[in-house]
Amino acid sequence: MNAPIIDPLQGDFPEVIEEYLEHGIMKCIAFNRRGTLLAAGCADGTCIIWDFETRGIAKELQDKDCNAAITSVCWSKYGHRILVSASDKSLILWDVLSGEKIARTTLEQTVLQARLHPGSSTPSLCLACPFSSAPMIVDIISGTTTVLPVLISEAGNGIAPNARSKTPDGSTTYSPSTACFNKFGDLVYTGNSKGEILIIDHGKVQVRALVPVSSGSIIRNIVFSRNGQYLLTNTNDRMIRIYENLLPMKDAHKVLDELHETLDEADEVEKLKAAGTKCLSLVQEFQDSINRIQWKAPCFSGDGEWVISGSASRGEHKIYIWDRAGHLVKILEGPKEALMDLAWHPVHPLIVSVSLTGLVYIWAKDYTENWSAFAPDFKELEENEEYVEREDEFDLMPETEKVKESDVNEDDPVDILNVEKDSAFSDSDMSQEELCFLPAIPCPEVPEQQEKCVGSSSKLPDGNQSESPLSVEAGQNGHAANNASSPLEAMENSVAGETEGTRLKRRRRPSEKGLELQAEKTKKPSKTMKPSGRLSKTSKSAAEPESSNGVNGDYASDDYS
Amino acid sequence: MANSGAPVQPPPPSPPKFKPYRHLKTLTGHSRAVSCVKFSNDGTLLASASLDKTLIIWSSSSLSQLHRLVGHSDGVSDLAWSSDSQYICSASDDRTLRIWSARPPFDCLKTLKGHAHAVFCVNFNPQSELIASGSFDETIRVWETKTGRCLNVIKAHSMPLTSVHFNRDGSLIVSGSHDGSCKIWDTQNGTLLKTLIDDKVPAVSFAKFSPNGKFILVATLNNTLKLWNYSTGKFLKIYLGHQNSSYCIMSTFSVTNGKYIVSGSEDHCVCIWDLQGKNMLQKLEGHKDTVICVTCHPTENKIASASLDNDRTVRVWVQER
Repeated sequence: MNAPIIDPLQGDFPEVIEEYLEHGIMKCIAFNRRGTLLAAGCADGTCIIWDFETRGIAKELQDKDCNAAITSVCWSKYGHRILVSASDKSLILWDVLSGEKIARTTLEQTVLQARLHPGSSTPSLCLACPFSSAPMIVDIISGTTTVLPVLISEAGNGIAPNARSKTPDGSTTYSPSTACFNKFGDLVYTGNSKGEILIIDHGKVQVRALVPVSSGSIIRNIVFSRNGQYLLTNTNDRMIRIYENLLPMKDAHKVLDELHETLDEADEVEKLKAAGTKCLSLVQEFQDSINRIQWKAPCFSGDGEWVISGSASRGEHKIYIWDRAGHLVKILEGPKEALMDLAWHPVHPLIVSVSLTGLVYIWAKDYTENWSAFAPDFKELEENEEYVEREDEFDLMPETEKVKESDVNEDDPVDILNVEKDSAFSDSDMSQEELCFLPAIPCPEVPEQQEKCVGSSSKLPDGNQSESPLSVEAGQNGHAANNASSPLEAMENSVAGETEGTRLKRRRRPSEKGLELQAEKTKKPSKTMKPSGRLSKTSKSAAEPESSNGVNGDYASDDYS
Repeated sequence: MANSGAPVQPPPPSPPKFKPYRHLKTLTGHSRAVSCVKFSNDGTLLASASLDKTLIIWSSSSLSQLHRLVGHSDGVSDLAWSSDSQYICSASDDRTLRIWSARPPFDCLKTLKGHAHAVFCVNFNPQSELIASGSFDETIRVWETKTGRCLNVIKAHSMPLTSVHFNRDGSLIVSGSHDGSCKIWDTQNGTLLKTLIDDKVPAVSFAKFSPNGKFILVATLNNTLKLWNYSTGKFLKIYLGHQNSSYCIMSTFSVTNGKYIVSGSEDHCVCIWDLQGKNMLQKLEGHKDTVICVTCHPTENKIASASLDNDRTVRVWVQER
């Protein structure tokens, strides 16, 4: 990169691996709209929904007929549905809350990327980009497919690719194309193998505009930012290009129609190119000119300020972060495993990356102690300040301290009920309720398994002893599934219990002072129990504190259930 | 001169006139001091916890006893309802928390172990997939409701904790403690975000977020209740006139018919103040011991209060028509 690296302290982006999620071998991930749930497709055909707040599994979606690896997952706009594409050429639409399959269709080819129509909350249309043919619009409920035009021959309008070039042995030689919806789903932007972006009105199946990106190099990814204002393309010439979307958000296809009325180039292709100039304008190009890295899974941050991309080189797990002006701000480096998929959290500065081994790494900002949090009137200074004392500071009875006035007008009315709208989601029309969380139903404990786990869990010093021995799977299918595989799960969970305790959870760097204070606290003798506390514990309190150190040992044999 | 042609601003609507509460019913059923009483979020049920190691679920409309939850091996100090009113979590001196189903057959679904000392306070987060508990071992523990796993242990204070509460979106936890401090924590990683109060005395006996999450109601053991704006770090309102110097009395906001602050008191009364005016509007008498906890029905103008050993009852008060 030619541009200098920005001081990372200024940025709002992650820096270190905070945690990793493990469950089978995960292949692809997608956040829901608010970033509260993360859907992950696995190699065995299940789709796992992680609750991002607790970092635990909220639900598992498994189709009995489908055991093929999942190639992509996509949420519907308000999080009620998930579309899953698998390598057995099928597309499955799930209802998230009930965990039921809504529909399933099988196509002619495995779909690499499937996107649900973003305009409606219960979409049945989706955009599928198969492995080696043109993108198509699929209606999942009815199973009909509409192939989209992806190449424009020089002599005419966008021909639907019935004119496949057939090689002598009859197989088609289509190179893969990639596509995505714009923000409200009325237009489809596809990138083809000739290095052009075609803007297609999928209702009419007509190409409306053409934007040449790079001559001859295949466009591998085309992605919109969350707010729909920016588009990025990843091409085979190892460059990522950022375009600004000049069309309005809503009813963009109507604007394009009007545009076509006004243009009067003779040649269709020229007309489309002219329209294209009004749709997208190039803003920035990124590349690594030194290593000439091929990029993989590029995407925008939630607010569109940052662009991230993984390096497609095998054997390294590198994530590059640029700001939109083109400066490389950081390179995140993970363990030596190839990167499969990447996603930025819609709201927080978190990145989630999937590695070849099937683990999902969560990258977050590195937290240091916030000194000003320790006392109400602490304030952190940027640099040393010269302290100038007041005239009467060292007087025995300084005038200013006699009267401590509260400078707040106590008679002002206080509003305890009204809530401010969340500006990060300004466009949400709250007509449809969003599914942010899956209900957490505590899975009932099974007593006989508790003994197996207690042995392992008592080794953990600071007590993950609340370990419920039950599987971390969906509580709904609780009993039937659990009984069938319970011994296996008990083993899994006792192992899981240990790994969780020793999990790669980055510890916050406690300050020295903090450590000192903690050391003092642990030495504190029996607490002088004030008779406050609803239970007058004065008699018991003397005995309790001494046993506080032996408590952990007690638990192994205690049986409260 | 009074009637010029210019339009006059209409006076702002005056708050509803306060109608006094009167006693409706006394609920007996506990054999020892009642430590906590709470209405469910949908208002259909009322739960009470007691030092007699049990909890009782009452119907809030008929005020009859529905079920007694037995299982703890020591007194129960606090209870919390999940947002969908399906589950109750109780905190007990036997160092565990229990998650109960609030529907028949009222099973104990989970026992959360891990605290090293009596658990004193508990609350669900608004999405109810997390539970925060504060204990005499000076830590806050954040648990996952579904599996019972302890997600985080926050070494919060230097003396026993008296209360924990989540804010409106569950991103913050406020904790109060006998060490006199009231602190605000980030739920996700347990970092300390702010210290609201840090005087050694008096102890902070109770802290709770306002319904919109902007203010914190803090009770301290010097007979004072204060409403703080935690982002500016200054208190806006102060409520006096009750007695609170020994027990951790729980107070609450009443918003169903005008805005009030309701709290118990060691002089055996329930005290109601006007939120804005800070003046005490009514003192409900009838209990025979310190009123340790009050709760307001989410939709009706009903208050339930619980009292200690000499009384052992839950009393329900409604507003005059």
